[in-house]
Parts: sequence; structure tokens; C-alpha cells
Amino acid sequence: MSATGPRSAGPAGGGAAALHISLASLRGHKRRFAGTFLAVLLGVAFLAGTLVMGDTLRASFDTMFGNATRGTDAVVRGANTITTPGESQGVRQNVDTSLVDRIEKVPGVAAAVPSVQGAGQLIGKDGDPIGGQGPPTLAGNWITDPELNAYRLAEGRAPARSGEVVVNRGAAESGDLKIGDTTTLRTPDPVKVTVVGLATFGGEDGMAQTTFTGMTQADAEKYLMPKPGEAATVQVRAGPGTGQQELVDALTPVLPKGVEAVTGQEAADENSEMISGQFLTLFTTFLLVFSGIALLVATFSIHNTFAIVVAQRTRENALLRALGASRRQVTASTLTEASVVAVVASAAGLAGGIGIAAGLQALFPAIGFPFPEGDLVISGTSMLLPLAVGIAVCVASALLPAVRAGRTAPLAALRETAVDQSGASRTRAVAGTALALAAVALTLVGVLASPSIWLAGGGAVLALAAFVVLGPVASSRAVRILGGPLDKLRGVTGSLARRNALRSPKRTAATASALMIGVAVVSLFTVFGASLKATMDQTVSRSFAGDVAVSTPSFGAGGSGLSPRLAPAVAERPEVATAVGLGRGVAEVDGEGRALTVTDPTALAKSFDLGKVEGSMSGLGDDGIAITRKEADKQHLKVGDKAELAFTDGKKNTFTVRALYGQSELAGDYVITRDAWAPHRGQDSDTLVSVTFKDGVGAAEGKAAVSEVAKAYGDPEVQTRDEYAQSAAGGIDMMLTLVYALLALAVLIALLGIANTLTLAVHERTRELGLLRAVGQTRGQLRAMVRWESVLVAAFGTAGGLVLGGFLGWVLVKASDGASDSAFAFALPPTQLAVVALVGLAAGALAGLRPARRAARLDVLRAIAAE
Amino acid sequence: MNTATTSRDRRGVPDAARVEAAVKIYGSSDTAVTALDGVSVGFPAGRFTAIMGPSGSGKSTLMHCAAGLDTLTSGAAYIGDTELGSLDDRRLTLLRRDRVGFVFQAFNLVPTLTVAENITLPMDLAGRRFDQDGLEWTDALIDVVGLRDRLHHRPAELSGGQQQRVAVARAFAGRPDVVFADEPTGNLDSRSGQEVLGLLGRAVREMGRTVVMVTHDPVAAAHADEVVFLADGRLVDRMAAPTADKVLDRLKAFDTRSATMPEGAPS
Repeated sequence: MSATGPRSAGPAGGGAAALHISLASLRGHKRRFAGTFLAVLLGVAFLAGTLVMGDTLRASFDTMFGNATRGTDAVVRGANTITTPGESQGVRQNVDTSLVDRIEKVPGVAAAVPSVQGAGQLIGKDGDPIGGQGPPTLAGNWITDPELNAYRLAEGRAPARSGEVVVNRGAAESGDLKIGDTTTLRTPDPVKVTVVGLATFGGEDGMAQTTFTGMTQADAEKYLMPKPGEAATVQVRAGPGTGQQELVDALTPVLPKGVEAVTGQEAADENSEMISGQFLTLFTTFLLVFSGIALLVATFSIHNTFAIVVAQRTRENALLRALGASRRQVTASTLTEASVVAVVASAAGLAGGIGIAAGLQALFPAIGFPFPEGDLVISGTSMLLPLAVGIAVCVASALLPAVRAGRTAPLAALRETAVDQSGASRTRAVAGTALALAAVALTLVGVLASPSIWLAGGGAVLALAAFVVLGPVASSRAVRILGGPLDKLRGVTGSLARRNALRSPKRTAATASALMIGVAVVSLFTVFGASLKATMDQTVSRSFAGDVAVSTPSFGAGGSGLSPRLAPAVAERPEVATAVGLGRGVAEVDGEGRALTVTDPTALAKSFDLGKVEGSMSGLGDDGIAITRKEADKQHLKVGDKAELAFTDGKKNTFTVRALYGQSELAGDYVITRDAWAPHRGQDSDTLVSVTFKDGVGAAEGKAAVSEVAKAYGDPEVQTRDEYAQSAAGGIDMMLTLVYALLALAVLIALLGIANTLTLAVHERTRELGLLRAVGQTRGQLRAMVRWESVLVAAFGTAGGLVLGGFLGWVLVKASDGASDSAFAFALPPTQLAVVALVGLAAGALAGLRPARRAARLDVLRAIAAE
Repeated sequence: MNTATTSRDRRGVPDAARVEAAVKIYGSSDTAVTALDGVSVGFPAGRFTAIMGPSGSGKSTLMHCAAGLDTLTSGAAYIGDTELGSLDDRRLTLLRRDRVGFVFQAFNLVPTLTVAENITLPMDLAGRRFDQDGLEWTDALIDVVGLRDRLHHRPAELSGGQQQRVAVARAFAGRPDVVFADEPTGNLDSRSGQEVLGLLGRAVREMGRTVVMVTHDPVAAAHADEVVFLADGRLVDRMAAPTADKVLDRLKAFDTRSATMPEGAPS
């Protein structure tokens, strides 16, 4: 703008002036916005990284499944599925392999092969099962028609004789198995197998971390099917000129009732959907939630930075106003400043996000998770959304400070630089208290009176809002209390630190709020995790009456289950009084899929505390069923009533309710005998064997005896009651570790906020620091003073976060308790929470390091002379 | 010109602080500005010395270097017998805390501390416990500056004059070897200024303290026992038993001289 030319009064001229001023001020104060810049950058990078990685994985999985099943034009399979609550995949009945002959005669069919699919876990060279208890461990027949086989032989040959297997290369590598090695396959009965070939899936070493073992057709039917002559599906290839739909249309008339044909495309889509749709959606949603938390925390830091900067610039803005700048222009100049920071930081964040995704793509294979190769999929959404969110968060956070800047009175130019030292207003206290009361009321209703996750969740959100609103009201008191010991501990240094933290309650509260949210989420998960563990512990100690347990995760979700023959074999040992195995079945009761516990009910009653039993658990026979009282009440069933169960094979059988029992925790809601289940069963396996020793048998002696028997059945782990309870909770720790890792970002952003606020405060107090140094404060004392202030702010945030997180954890546990059938225990883990508190304080000290060092570097004379 | 190298002045009183052949150069090569150009001067114990000179004469620089707030380019500065150039930042800080008092022109008090806490700040920083003697001394000081009813107020609640009186009390509270005052009345109206100067004078005459004051105000300088004049970084004159008129006349002589001379270093 020309200084000599006539000034345009129009909006364009004004806007240009605002832009000019804000750019000049940005250039002048780059450091002040470093924290804001980093906060936006990190949040946006995390968000963009998640989206890009999700898209890339989804595309890769689609390609992988497409490649793997390209040759399959139609799949013939059982038509009925029964899906039990909490399971993603329904259970289907097997088909008869005799169908293959019939299908091959259908015109247009080039080839048809039975596909046997089941679970089989290989034992690695070191004796440990490959794949642990994570992803599915699949086994099946090795399909010799390469076009119909999803796996390709990469090395070696196909199995020709009984006992020979092909293993996917990823599994072989993780178990250190080579061609020619002999090992054990748990189906769950141990089968001795020799690796003769290695296979790939869709060009990769495996389908993610799923393991696959291909056996001969006869072996597969023998070990994986309830009886020979059955297969999970029949894969069909069309002859030249026959389309997939045409093929399905031609097949449908020849299929018996209860069997259907679907196109290969449809089957591939279903599989792909199962992984990318469910697993990936869950995974990305999970990550998105955490980037949301990080951005929420960033909002506080950014708002705070702008609020401080505007306060420090009061004189400058007042001068502008006095010289004729309108309110709008001053507001606009601050907002422009925010926008420039936002755009630059968000753009850098996008680059960072792509970097994160590329890094993960490189990292995943290194940790044994085959991330499909291929270019990163960078869609418009995954770029525009984070960009928009980043800019919106940054500009919205700066909005209030910008408006405040516009309201600066021209006269303020004449006064001392005003730092907002006002305490909390009455309105704030009243509004905050009202919010808090509403939160507590809503939560209590949601938790106690009429259990509802939504009411309780609403209460939780209100509680968060109440904490943020009440922050400035509480900060003075809290800092005074928390900092109380500092006076005695650190003398005048501590006292000065405490008073500095008390200077601007609003600023302290806003700075601490960011950390508070981070810590609250951390403690929420800590409390919830501990409660889950306590719940499992309680379940085991209440329901499990056995001495040792042998357990593996259920069929399909990794592992291979236990041989149904294990329990009878253990029972024969002289040390053992009873050994009962629990298997799993599914059936529809009253139109809904239900999990059945398949077992010996008489022994079950001895080994598990079933609560009060009405009727008799013995003598259910093959047409009797035992139900928990809770389920029976829901369906208005009493002992002696009849209930109809529909199975996957399409059969509907009527069962007589012979017993009702009270506790369902380990035994499940429905119990039937093995005889009753036998006609409908699939691959047989137990998930848990409970063993009770005879009187006088020592724990070690008994456990050794059971382990000896178990060795012959694939050597599953034998656990004492305590070990069993702990292992059931093992997954929770892993989950918590992941959550903590993700929350580290939010906490990091909060710490950047604290560091930034302190840096600005140090700048503001330059003269005072100079004075202190002049009258004898050593550099060490000055550093300690700034660090302690940081620790105090962090302590306030941490304390608030612990209280809020504890409360939210309680709400979550109680709401889950009320909304589900199983009883939830609430636990406050003192050690973990103490660790959270310590980490919060240590992080505060860390955040104060840099501002403290900068403050200590101040030149005394220049500080005294500073304006 | 008198280039005293002994630690005793002409009457045999030991110097509480002194500089010898003090040179201070700001910047380097082309932009170098010589603020002190070989100044040697002692500030006798138990005396009130004023440093005067026109803007840019180096009077503030002299005070800063003598007080251990700044370091000399060459030459030596002493507090008592301690040579400041040999001290690192930490020792220098401890020396200021324990043996030197300060009164600045403005912003003398820590806003978060009360009047009482500001007064005892240097001792508190030292973590020094108050003995009976120390307590009586501070108590007497509080009465001398007349702020007993304000002890628990914050600086923001005091007038400018009151704030400077607190600063004076703070400066003497630790019974330092020497108190340096940098334009202590520069921001005050004349009545408040007189009060502060009166306090400094009483501290020297009634309590035997040592004060070195930088000022450009002849009326303020008249409260001192002796005035040293600086011009262009050199000690040009000393005047015992100054009066405002005598000081003013002496300064006028500089003005005529500086009209023919370029401006020197920053003050």
C-alpha cells in the first residue's frame, strides 16, 4: 500500500491492510506460533495418515481377494446362516461332496471341487503354536485346480499322501518351518504333518496374518469335518462363454434344499467386506477417535496461544484503533494470522500424514504384518477432510481472541500492557455449577435409575464441559492447594512459581484443560481396563470351581480349540475327580442366533458354580436343554416347557427345558448335551476344560498330571485358577498399551501447549525476571521457578483429568453393567493411576524445560531495560 | 586527573566498590562504541556518591559494571576486595544477592509478592534464616520507610513513591556492602522523589550504609556527599559537598563542550 497515495476506505483496502499487518506480525513473532503450528500439524497428520492408510489397506485387500479368487465363478454352500450376538460371521452348514458329481454335469461347468475349511493350528519349530491367539488359523484341503485355489504353490509340491501339507509362506517363516520339516497340526486333535510345499495368497505371503494349512482331500475331510464326505463349499469354474450369473442360474435348479449357489464375485466381496469392511472400519474409526481427541486438545492450546498473544498486543492493537483501524479490521487481522498459520500447518500436516502412511507401509512388514504392496491411495476426501478440519480447528480456536482484539479500546494504548488477570466471573461459576449438577443428575439417572448408555454418555459429555467451564474457578484454589508444599520444599523459588501459576486463572485453566482432557481419557481407559480385569477375575472366582483350566480361544478366532477327547482322557487320571470340556454350538432360539454350550451337564454342575439350579442338570438326554433363569424369564419358559431350536442344517428340533440355573458367566445361557449336538455339529472342538482334583492331590502334582495328558493333544497350556483369570485379562493389557500409545499424541500436544504458554509468559515477564536476577536469583533458581510453574499447571490438569477420567470410567462401567447381562465390576487401580499422575507431573517438568532454559538465558541488563 | 589505584580514598576510608582502568566497548569493529574509556574511581564506604554526566557519558554503564550486572571489556571492578571479573555468573549472582543492593528507576518489585516479601526477597533467595539482629534491622527499616501498614499489600496497590520506598527498604534489608541506585527518582513527582532521596541520605548518615546513585538531576545529586562527573566515558571531575546550583553550573560547562563534540556511547 502506498503511503503517499490516497487511502482507500473500501473493504478491499481495509482487508489488504489487515492482511499486511497480520503477515508482518507473523513474521515478527514466528516463535509464538510454533506451538500452534505443531499442534495443528500433528493433529492433521494423524488424521490424514489414518485416512490414507485406511484407503490403501482397503484397496489392497480388495485387490488381494480379487486376485486370489479370480478363477472361482460360483460358490455352492449351505444357505442357512446363524449368527450369534457379538460374532461377525455366521455359521453355515456343510455341503455333501457328492454334489460335486452332480454339479460337474451341469452345462457350462468346467470344473467343480469341494473346499474343506476348518481350523488348524501349526506348531512352530520352537514348540509354540504359530499365530498365537490372534488372527484365524485356517486349514483345508489343497485344491489341485490352481484356478479354483486361492493359494498358489510358490515352492515345493502339492500334498499327495496323507500327512503331507502345504503351508502359507508367512506362517512357515514365523514358525521357522522349511520344506521337509515335520510338525504337529492341531485340528484340535494333534496330527503329525510334513511340510511339502509353501504357498502365497494373492501374491502375498499370506492373507494378512492368517495362517493356512492345505492337506489332502481325504485328510481334510477326516480331521476337519464332522464326518467324511462333507465340505464347507464347492468351488465351481465356468467353461468358456459362461458368465458367473449364468452359471449360478444353471446350478440353482440342481441343488438340494438348503444349499445355494452365489457368484464368485459375490463370495469374494463378502470375504473382502469381512476384512476391510469390518476390521478396517473398526480400526480406522478407532484411530479417528484418537485423532479427534488430539485435535480437541489442540483446540485448547491454540485458543490459549491466541488469547495470550492478543492480550500482549493490547497496546499495539489499541494504537491501530487510535490511528483509525475499525474493529473489523483488527479482528480480521488476528483471524488472518490464524488462517495463515492454519493453512500452512495443515498443509504440512497433510504431507506428514502421507509420510506416516508410507512409514507404516514400510514398518508393517518389518513387524510381520504383511501390508500389501502397492501405491498409497490418496483420495480427495483423505486430503480435503483433514485440511478442512485443521483450518476449522485453528480458526475457530482463534475466533474469540480475535473478537476480543477488535474490542480493544483505543485508550488502552496509553495504559500499561494489560495481562488478563481477572479471576473467574460469577456467571462462569454459576453456569459451570449448573452444568456439573446437570451432568451428575443425567449420569445418575443413566446409570442407576433407568440404565441407558445414551443418558450416561450425555452426562459424561456434560461433565467434560462442566470441567472446562469450571476450570478457571477451580484453578486458583487447586494451584494454591497443590502448590502448598512447594513453599516449604523450595522456599521462595517455589512460592514464586506458585504465584506465577496463580497470576491468570483463565490462562492456567485453559493450559491445564488440554492436559486434563488427555489425562482424563488415559485414566478412563485405565479404570475401564482394570474394571474389565476385575470383572473377569470375579467371574472366574465366582463361577469356576475347578482346580485347573485348559483353555484356548474359540474356533475361528485364532487357535484351534481343544480336542473334545481331552476331557475324557484327563478324567481317567487317578489324580482327577472330574474333567469337563465345554464346546460351542449355535442354534436359533425364538428366531435369534444363540450360542449353545455343548458339554456333559452333570459334570458341568460339579465343576462350575451354576448358582441355584431348578430341575436337574443330569439327564438332559438328547432332547433336553438347560437355560439360565434370566433367558428363561425373557422367553417365559419354565422347567418342563418345550422350546424349539433351529440348527444350521435347517433342522428344527423341540427340546424340553429340564433345568434352570442362576449363573451364566462361564457356562453360557444354553446348555445341551454332546449327544443332542452331534447331528448338527461342524468341526468339533472344546474351548475350555475344567479339571477338579481328587482330595489330597496337590496343586503341582495335579497340574503335572493334566499337562502330561494334554501333551498328547497338541500340548495346550494348563493353568491354575489364578493363571486362568489372568490370561483371560491378558488381551486387555495389550489393548491398553495400544490406547496409551495413541493417546501419547494428545498428551504431547497438551505439553506443547504448556510449553508455549510458559514461553509467552516468560516473554511477558522479561523485566521481572531481570529484576529477580539482579537482586540475586541464580540461573538455577530461575529455571527451577519456571519448571515448578510448569509442574503446577500440569498437576492441576492431571488432577482434574484423574478425577474426570475416574468419574467417566465409573459411568462407563456402570452403564455397561446396566445395559448388558453380565455383571461388571468397578475397580480403581491405585498403582496405574499413581503412574498416570507421576507421568503427568514429569511431563509438566519436561514441558517447562525449554521455557526455563530460555528464561535463564535472558541477559539481566537487557531484561531490566525491556519495555 | 586522579587515577586512584588504592582501595582507600584520600581520607583513608576503604572503598566499598571501585573500578580501575575500566573500559567498556559495545559492539565490535566498525560499530564499536566505547562507553567507558579507562575510568578509575572508588566509592568510599559509608558515603553517598552520585554519578552524573550528560546522556551517553557512560554513567549507567559505570554503575552496571561496578555492581556486577555487566562485565568490563578491560580493567577491573571490585566490591570490597573481590574482583568481579574473576567470578562466573553464579558467583556474581550470589555476590549481588549477598553484598549489593539495587534500586532501579522503575519496575523494582515482583508483582506477585507482598511488600514484606519483596523486602526480604534477596535473603529469601539465599535461603537465609533471620537472626534476632536481622529481624530488628528489617523491622527498623520498615519504620524508616514508613510502610508498616502496607506490609501485606501487593505492589500494584501502592503509589509510585511507595513502590520506590519499598525498593529502598529491599536494597538495604540484607545490609549490603553497597547500594546502587539507578535514577531512583526518575519516575517520581518531586515530593516522592525527595522522600526517596531523604531515605537514601539517612541510610548513609544515620546507619552508616554506602550508596552509589546515578542521576541526571542536580537536585538529586545535591543529596550526595560527593558527585563524580563523567563525560564521553571518562571521569572528568569530582565535587565534594555538592549543591544543586554548583552541580548545575558544572553540567552547563559540559553542555557547551558537548555542542562541539559528537554524541558518545549509550547511557
